[in-house]
Amino acid sequence: MDKFIVNIIHRPEMVPEYAEKITGQGKGEDITRKDLLTESLDIFKTQQEIAHKNGLKTTIQMTYASLFNEEAVEIAKEHHEKYGDEIALTLLGLPCKEFRDKYKTKDFCIWMFSMEDKKSIVEDVFGKFYEKFGFYPESTGSYYMDADLINYIKERYPSVKCAVATCWEEGPKAYHTCNNSWYTLMDGGPWAPWIPSKQNTHAPAANEGEDSGIVAIPHLSRDLIACYDGNGSNFGTHPQNVLRGMIYDSKTWEYPYLYNLIDQYRSLAKYNNGYAYNMMFVGPGWMNKMGRWEAPYELLLKSYEDGCAYYGKLKKEGQLVDMTMSEFADHYRKKKSYTEPECALWRDILYGSDKQLFWYCDPFMRACVNMDQGGAIVDLRPYVAKLEWPVGIGTKHVQDASYPFLIQEKYRAGYFTHYAGEGTVRSAKLSYNGEEVDLCLCRTKAHFSNDNGRRTLTLDPVDIEFTGLNIKLQTEVIFKEGDSSIEIRRKILQSSDDSAKVTLNEYMVGCYGTTEYPEDMTSIVLQLTAVDGKTEKCRYDYKCRENELKGATSTAVSIPPIKTRVVMECDDKEATGYYKEGYAFSPMYTLGYKTEIGCGQEVTTWLRLEKEN
Amino acid sequence: MAQAGKGKLNFRCPSCFMRDLDIDMFYDKEKKEYYCLRCQYRGSEKDVLEKNEMARFRYGAMKKRFKMEDF
Repeated sequence: MDKFIVNIIHRPEMVPEYAEKITGQGKGEDITRKDLLTESLDIFKTQQEIAHKNGLKTTIQMTYASLFNEEAVEIAKEHHEKYGDEIALTLLGLPCKEFRDKYKTKDFCIWMFSMEDKKSIVEDVFGKFYEKFGFYPESTGSYYMDADLINYIKERYPSVKCAVATCWEEGPKAYHTCNNSWYTLMDGGPWAPWIPSKQNTHAPAANEGEDSGIVAIPHLSRDLIACYDGNGSNFGTHPQNVLRGMIYDSKTWEYPYLYNLIDQYRSLAKYNNGYAYNMMFVGPGWMNKMGRWEAPYELLLKSYEDGCAYYGKLKKEGQLVDMTMSEFADHYRKKKSYTEPECALWRDILYGSDKQLFWYCDPFMRACVNMDQGGAIVDLRPYVAKLEWPVGIGTKHVQDASYPFLIQEKYRAGYFTHYAGEGTVRSAKLSYNGEEVDLCLCRTKAHFSNDNGRRTLTLDPVDIEFTGLNIKLQTEVIFKEGDSSIEIRRKILQSSDDSAKVTLNEYMVGCYGTTEYPEDMTSIVLQLTAVDGKTEKCRYDYKCRENELKGATSTAVSIPPIKTRVVMECDDKEATGYYKEGYAFSPMYTLGYKTEIGCGQEVTTWLRLEKEN
Repeated sequence: MAQAGKGKLNFRCPSCFMRDLDIDMFYDKEKKEYYCLRCQYRGSEKDVLEKNEMARFRYGAMKKRFKMEDF
């Protein structure tokens, strides 16, 4: 039977993000204001009451500040005894007088501190927790937990088995939405729970040796279409996010979208061997009495009550299991193997577009296939590299915790570019008598199947019309469990002229980076390999060079800055492999194969991701 | 004029919201209008609320309740 699990998490944040700025407008900053502290605790109590009223247990993530508040500590103990809530510890909510006096900083995001400070803060926070409760927590978290931080915590406090460790696609888009002032740059991670590798939190562990020892959960379950294109903080199972996005009827205060979002997450069980997951984690700043943006307090409260009531209803119907974070970690360890991927065939539930994306995540890659673009791959992260990417003060990436992409159609264009150049995408073009059609312009839908570890997307056939020739083409995209390649099959099912051949050009335009802006490409090397093993190479120098080789066994690119190599291969031994260098106005590289294909014929290509040594 | 402050609620700029920017507006009590620090929008509370309705145009399925079979 399918199992849909929810984690409800609350944190008594004594100085909630947002609340100080809002309730204190027109006043000098004072994080010790009594009204602020009182209101924060009241909100926490309200959240707990709402969850319990609906028969849901919670994970209480104590903040450092709350450990100095006897009432908060007593509530946690009481609710643990009475409701079975887990008493956990978050690394959010650090700001308080005691913290600022000691660390002499207003920084509050644990991953941005120096490693020395991270260790010191962890010792302080975990030590204070032990002092208050007499045990160490089993769960922790922040918006992001870098690998060095997780490894340190696991080594020092082995009881920790679960952590909130990233926020899905909270990166440059969230930064822009916040007027370039919210530095949570953490794109490129999993959207559902995973076991982080020791090398990089975002990249799942492939085996026991890479296992960081914890189960990670995302901060919020987010809309896998809306958050990919828009502000992530509008489209998650955080009821106030839905209000932030103004996704409600302003007259009736109804928001079916919230329930649709939860239900679509429930539906993901069919792609993941009967397992589906949701989490709700609302900081108290989102329920402050002054209201939040256009939403008065009454609406903020209503949305939280409605959210919990829906989870409670599902539980009563036997369609949901509520767990604490540590309970979930135990369940996840029993349920999932290292290489079992997370899959999500996701439809638009907000804009009415009928668009469909497929998200795939395993220890070797995260990929997004866009059915509205003929099954093109529009986002690709090479987890296989297990890129060591320290973050925080004293590293090369003080704020940027995103896992780099090879393809990202929003930041580095996809099929459509303005006037010149190319954007990142993995697609195919068909040409006949001088006419050319890119599959990115062939809208379709996909069907999912799992056959012996081969997760297959079978796309509805598309019609392609040339002058004097019509063909019907089908695409299959296959992810083989435990393998770092993506297999793509194209087959011409019908043709108005059975003897006609069209040219199939399978290609990937790629780059690398974590933001919209181009990186230095000069260390990149493109390579063609002949059947006799000889190679032809090109070191990237923005010179727009191209090379091709009939019968090439592979065409490949090495990207040293992200320790990644991408190899394309084709089953047609007569196919011509090629690469293109790119130029300053189009800082991309292209790998591809061209071959002839006729009615009833099929061509298969593989895109293999490798770690570059 | 005296300095601007926050209004009774903390309205965002509807024009900026439509370009995925959350910018708090400030209230000019003499002119009885909200104004955006970043762009050129200014308007009464009534106008802000009207523009917020307009901003919802993109949510074509906002009022639709899907069934499990739809997924």
